[in-house]
Amino acid sequence: MASRCSFPMRVIEMFAVDSPFLTVVLRTFLVSGTATAMAVLVGFPIGYGISRRSFRGRTLLLGFINAGMGMPPVVVGLVVWVMLVRSGPLGNLDLIYTRAAMVLAQFLIATPIVVGFTTASLQALPPRLGDLLSVLGAGRVRTMLILAREAKLGLAATIMAAFGAIVSEVGASMVVGGNLERSTRVLTTAIVTETSRGEIERALFLGLILLGLTFVVSLALTIIQQRR
Amino acid sequence: MDVSLEGVRVERDGRMLLDIPSLSLPGHRTIAILGPNGSGKTTLLRVISGLDRPNAGRVLIGGIPAHASRAAYVFQEQVFLRRSVRDNLELGLQLRGIDPAERLRRVEEASGIFGIRHLMSRRADRLSGGEGRRVSLARALCLRAPLVLLDEPLEGLDRPTYSRLLHELPQYLAAFDATRIIVTHNPDEALRLAQDLVVLVDGKVRASGEKRDVATNPRQPDVAEALGYFVVIRDGRRLAIPPNALRAGPGAMEFLMEVDEVIELVASREIVGRIGEARVSVELPEGSEKPVRGDRVCLHAERFFELS
Repeated sequence: MASRCSFPMRVIEMFAVDSPFLTVVLRTFLVSGTATAMAVLVGFPIGYGISRRSFRGRTLLLGFINAGMGMPPVVVGLVVWVMLVRSGPLGNLDLIYTRAAMVLAQFLIATPIVVGFTTASLQALPPRLGDLLSVLGAGRVRTMLILAREAKLGLAATIMAAFGAIVSEVGASMVVGGNLERSTRVLTTAIVTETSRGEIERALFLGLILLGLTFVVSLALTIIQQRR
Repeated sequence: MDVSLEGVRVERDGRMLLDIPSLSLPGHRTIAILGPNGSGKTTLLRVISGLDRPNAGRVLIGGIPAHASRAAYVFQEQVFLRRSVRDNLELGLQLRGIDPAERLRRVEEASGIFGIRHLMSRRADRLSGGEGRRVSLARALCLRAPLVLLDEPLEGLDRPTYSRLLHELPQYLAAFDATRIIVTHNPDEALRLAQDLVVLVDGKVRASGEKRDVATNPRQPDVAEALGYFVVIRDGRRLAIPPNALRAGPGAMEFLMEVDEVIELVASREIVGRIGEARVSVELPEGSEKPVRGDRVCLHAERFFELS
């Protein structure tokens, strides 16, 4: 019966009948959104520090961070799996095959992106802007907030890049999450599952939803970015 | 407020940038820090402002250690937030906790003095060079800081804007009820704008005092060069010649100049060359014969100072 339905009908069916599908969408947003937020909280101050200070080994550190932006997610997933698996050094935390493990892996993928892009965005500001704020009377936190606002174009792009990178990765989520249907399945791992089952229409639809999710988040950030 | 430096030393990467055992700058005057490029002028200004800390020694502003928030600093580059001119003028006042009514009053007053009322809603980071300098000065004035520091305030302007601002700057500076310190490498600017001079060479204060005393008695060759004099050796004596006192032709104090270059101007020509090791230039009077590279031309000094 299903095979005789048109693609739009299948979409309606999935939303109406297949309630776990909506859960997968929400779970995807939750896991990647949390990992992005954590990466911004940790990565922005690090990027800010690197952009504002000169110290020995700074270029080497930036080289490592920039290389980290291209880390294969599946390798990050493997490292996190080795750490979290029952016999691993953090095995007693009992996090393997949980959403927390997926957030951790995605956080590790996103953080170098946030640090690298934040550093570049802040370095693109006039070099004396920090000095100006000091003589105008801004403290450290105020200086950081004003510079962040000045670099909002680049920083919004940073968040988009980080979210886009982790919401679309499949390797790390599969390895540390295990693609468990009721707890750790996200859109990318669901696409892999549906494809392997021969459910190409469902896989394609999930792909469209993933693209839509990325688009909505990017659009929201772009509106903030472009606001005058 | 008086500014005093005691035993100030600044080193970067093993290189001594500033070494000032003692320096006192009187309050409520305009002081020019003059020196060639790389002499440590901006480093000195940053140390006085409190933006940089010296490796040794201390800087006191009115007897209190220097702190960035007690100075108004006009940077050499145009440094603005990507906001309106009004927002940029108000920012420092907001950060210093000035109430809105007083902010408005100060911004209105400063914008009137510097003639920038028509720019208030424009984006500050998109202003022209001359407009940007005026806004930077107005922002500094709004702060009512006891110390105003200007780093090469006329650098990088086109010639008409430069001339206009050079002419207007003394009256702008008079608007500041503060000690005003200007960094420049241009002796003309220093002599025009300042009441006192500090000559800095290789990170060391080589001369300081009232501008007339310093400018008419340079004593040391490096001080004389920083002040724009030609320094030449004649019969074993070092002489400092003001550029406008060197003339073509014979005179009481004559020199032979070897010509390196002849520059054709509209109504005259300028020759550039060397007297011994010293590089000098002089304008030739109309109708005089055109020399060529390698010729020896007789010059004389109408005025000069003997150096130690």
